[in-house]
Order: sequence, then C-alpha cells, then structure tokens
Amino acid sequence: MTVPLAIDARSLARHYGEGNRRVDALKNATFEIARGEVVAILGPSGSGKTTLLTVLGLINPPDAGSLRIDGHEVLREGARVTNLALFRRRYLGFVFQRSNLIPFLNALENVQLSLELDDVPPREARGRAREILTSLGLAERLDYVPAILSGGEQQRVAIARALVNAPAVVLADEPTAALDSERGRQIMEIFRRAARERGAAILFVTHDHRTLDLVDRVIEMEDGALTVRAGGST
Amino acid sequence: MNLALRDVRHDLARYLLTALGLGLLLTVVLAMMGIYNGLILDGTALPDALGADLWIVQRNTRGPFAELSQISHRLEERVRAVAGVRLARSYSAQTIQRERPGGGKLRFAAVGLPWPDDHGERLPIVSGRELRDPHFEAIADRSLALALGERVRLARDVYTIVGLTEGMLASGGDPIVFFTLSDARQIQYDVANEAVRLEREARLARVRASELGLNPENLRRAHGLSSGVPALGPLPVAAIMVDLAPGADVDTVRAAIGAWPDVTVHTTQGERDLLLRGSLDLMLRQNGLFRVLLVVISTILMGLIIYTMTLEKLHSLALLKLLGARTTVILAMILEESLLLGAIAYGIALVAARFAFPYFPRRIILGDADRVALLGIVVLISVVASAVGIRKALAADPNQVLAS
Repeated sequence: MTVPLAIDARSLARHYGEGNRRVDALKNATFEIARGEVVAILGPSGSGKTTLLTVLGLINPPDAGSLRIDGHEVLREGARVTNLALFRRRYLGFVFQRSNLIPFLNALENVQLSLELDDVPPREARGRAREILTSLGLAERLDYVPAILSGGEQQRVAIARALVNAPAVVLADEPTAALDSERGRQIMEIFRRAARERGAAILFVTHDHRTLDLVDRVIEMEDGALTVRAGGST
Repeated sequence: MNLALRDVRHDLARYLLTALGLGLLLTVVLAMMGIYNGLILDGTALPDALGADLWIVQRNTRGPFAELSQISHRLEERVRAVAGVRLARSYSAQTIQRERPGGGKLRFAAVGLPWPDDHGERLPIVSGRELRDPHFEAIADRSLALALGERVRLARDVYTIVGLTEGMLASGGDPIVFFTLSDARQIQYDVANEAVRLEREARLARVRASELGLNPENLRRAHGLSSGVPALGPLPVAAIMVDLAPGADVDTVRAAIGAWPDVTVHTTQGERDLLLRGSLDLMLRQNGLFRVLLVVISTILMGLIIYTMTLEKLHSLALLKLLGARTTVILAMILEESLLLGAIAYGIALVAARFAFPYFPRRIILGDADRVALLGIVVLISVVASAVGIRKALAADPNQVLAS
C-alpha cells in the first residue's frame, strides 16, 4: 500500500491587490512533501513564505491550483473542503514565531484543548497532553501559564500542542526566531524527532541558516516563486 | 474544558470587580422594584388596616386619601340609621411635624380612632397594646423610633406610646400615629392662647356690630368658649367609615347613602384605586420609567464590558479558530462569560439588597416575583450583551495569529 504524500501542491497561486498595486505573492507553486520529511522554506522578507504557509494551512484560499493533504483533496481550482475547522483539527498542526499559547490556560490545558476540540474525552486528552509534554521535558511545568514560562518552554508547549493530534503536517512560522541558537537547535531537534517518530511532515519558514543541517530539504522562495534544493544531514 | 471559567480564573479579581460594579447597578434596579412595591403598600396600608367597608366623603371629592375632604362628624348618626350599617366611625388625619424629645425631627401622620368604637384592634400591633383610655395614649409605627412607654408632648398635652405597629405608613411615607379621634383633633386644631383671645375679641366685635349685640347674654357667649356658641359648627372630619352588618349588601348600602346630596361614597377597593390612580400614580410611573432606564443602562454597560473583554481575547479567539475550534465553542465561551458575569452581579445585588435596603428611609419591599423578574432581566441583558461580543468574536481572523 502506498503511503500518501503529506502535501501535494500543484500550481498554487495567490496575489494581493489589483492593477498597479497587484503583488503576486505565490506563483505556480508545485511541490510534494512526504510524511516524516522536514522541509525548510527559506527566503527574504516579502518573498511569499508566510503566504504559502497560510494557503497550506487553509487560512487563505489560493487564486489557482490544487492541494492534497494526506491524500485528501482539500483545494481544487478555487473549491475547497467545506469543514475547514474539522480538517485543521485532524490533519494540521501550527507552530508560530511567538508561541501563541492561550494566555488563560496553563501548559497542560493548552495542549489538552487541542485534543478536546477534536472531541477526545477530557480524561484521555489530559493523559495524552501530559504524556507529550513530559516527553518534551516539561513535566515540571504543566501547571504554569504561558506568562511564567521561558521562551523555549513556551515554544515546546506550542510544539506539543501541534503534535498531540498526530497531524499529517505541522506548519511552523519561524519557530526559532525568538530563541537563542542553543534553544533554537533544541526546537529543531524536537521537530526532527517528531517527524521520525510520529511520521509528521514538518514544513517551516525560517531565516535561520544555523538549523538547516537538520532538515531534509530546503525550499527557497523569491518573489513568490519556489526553487528546491537538497537539505543538510538527516 | 470550560474555556469561559478558565478565562475568568485567569483574571479573577478584575472579573469580580466588574461583577461588583454591575451588581451594584442591579441593586438599584432591585431598589426601584422594591420602592414601587413599597409605595403601593404604604399608600394602601391605612385604608386596608382600618378595614371599613365604605368611605363617606365630601360630595364630589376623591377623599380622604387622594384629595382633601371635610364633612361633619355628625354624619355618623345619620349613617348609623341606614339599614345594613353596623358601625359608622369618623376618620381624621393630619401630618404633624414637631421636635423630637432630645432634638431632631418628629414627623408623622396623626390618625384619629373613634372612641369607644375603635381601640385599634384592627391595627398590626407588634409590641404593646391597643388604646385603653380615651385620652393621652397613642399607638405609633415602629419606624418612628419611639419606644413603648415613651412620652411625647404634642399641642398642650403629653401622650404615652402604648403600642407599636409594623408597616403603618401614610402614602407620603410618614409613619402613622393613632390617637383617639378627640385627641387627634385636639392636636390637629391646637391654637395658641393669644390666637384664641384674638378670635374671641373679633367674635365679640362682630356680635356688637349686629343686632345680636343688644342682648348681653349673646355678648357673654360670643366672648366665651367656641363650643358655647350654637351658631358655630363643630370642627369637620375627613370621612366617615362604615362597617356593614353581617349579611348586608355593600352595593345596596352604598346606593342608599350615595343618594344623599351632600356626600360621595367609595368602597375600600375604590379608595385603593383612587390612591393608585391619583396621588401615587405619578410616583409609580416615574419609578417605572427609572426602572426601564436602569435596565437599558445596565444592558449598555454590560454590552460594553463584554465587548471589551472580547477585544482583549481577540488574539486567543483567532488562535482558537486557527486550531480548528468550532464556532459554537467560541460562542459558548462568550455567552457563558456573559451569563456568569450576570449571575455573579445578580447574587451581589441580592446580598446588597438584603443588607442595605432595611436602612433606606422608605420601605423597599421585594417579593419572590421581583427576584425572579430581575433574574429574567439579567439573563436577557446577558444574552443581548454577549451578542455584541459574539459579533466581534466571529469576525476574529486567524491571519491575525500569523501576523503577530
């Protein structure tokens, strides 16, 4: 049995503005990412990295192209899955530059919520959240609200939240930008491990060249166009 | 996981402080409801307590509560002769404001009970006793803060408080003090010695100026006591109360007395209606409008509070959307916070009402129906207020999360 691709994007395009102000943020983006692969999207500011992430994350629809996630056709020539919320819960995980945890929930609850939103019973959700946070070295921080966690700890909680649902794809927007190099590297190693152990495809936008040795592939972007080159060691 | 409770827990002090403010506003709404009830109960307490079947007042007036009425107390004897009448009692009332023993204002409505027919048996006496002597005893409402056995100088005499009632207030809110009718009139029509002397001299001069002055006996009488001058009528009373004999038909008796050309007859229910449509009507309507205004203000304030609370959470709401939260999860969170805020504020209002209202100068009477009505209002304004926040929450854009 063939394992479906985590991401199968064909000719994705998106623009902002019209006429003289038209900006083609994403041009004819075609690429594939397999499960367990870690891919970095590299490029200068304004090259379309975040636009690509919002299209793949089903936040903004593309103007053209098609997209399959984990074998499911979610976008095709303007049409897209009707229940976006359900699809995001089941197949996608998000990690952001700033951890973007919910400030009124503690670390455990932030992760638990992700499961409960997908109708996992609270007791089971709590157990699974505790387990993944412990695996990321946060067993002593379960009751801490984001405001009293360090930047690295917050980011680990965010990764736990993204991974706990066992999504096919984790989309990360500069997840190491707010961290020092050592902590940034720790985060990348966590991604690497998650890809290997959980089979998730990790696609992350970064400016940070120091961590590229931990990725399988690098997708470079410039003016909305993609070029692919091989990554560092696996 | 209940997100609303966790959000509240996160900033509990501020949430409770907001609920306290809203609760105090709801206390005012509750006070207005209680004042409304108090106005009705105070206004109708006296006619209810006196327990007459019919009230005979000056012709074409709505007296004695809604309007001034003056009739001769001798009407009592005519009324007693009507078939079906068991008892006719004079009614007289006057607002009195004097100095309290030891200083301070002593303001009350003096009501006369016709001795010996009425000793105050019908009054809601909670302490002490009814009147036993035809003079110099009084039954006061407890709100006047006179003690049993306390002696109060009124006009030329000293009266002893022998009984205390509960809830006997005039429509203006003044406590009522019951005397025998003759004592009440004595207090009501007390005139200074010099005024009596001047009136006698004036009377003497008027008699001298007429043919009557040729008779020395007329001159002697004119210069004497008012009661010794047959041409001077007795002082009027405000109304005659009629108690019907067992089995008598109220409409028949009313029709018989109402046919007299010098009086008008009202039933006790009629008196209540006259009060509610007359002197109390404006106050009740004013109170009602205040209540409406306060409910509107509460709704606007609560809407603003929920809106502000939603604005502060907008980023979290956008994040929830990005994480795939159903719309109902977000709606429930806003609605639950709004309802919880309303519920806490409602609780605060009930507690504040319980402890604060007894210290208000006028009676504030709350029944279960009022509490339930306020609960209904709170639920309604919570839902309306949450709609403002929900509208904002639904507009939260997941792109915001990536932009931050």
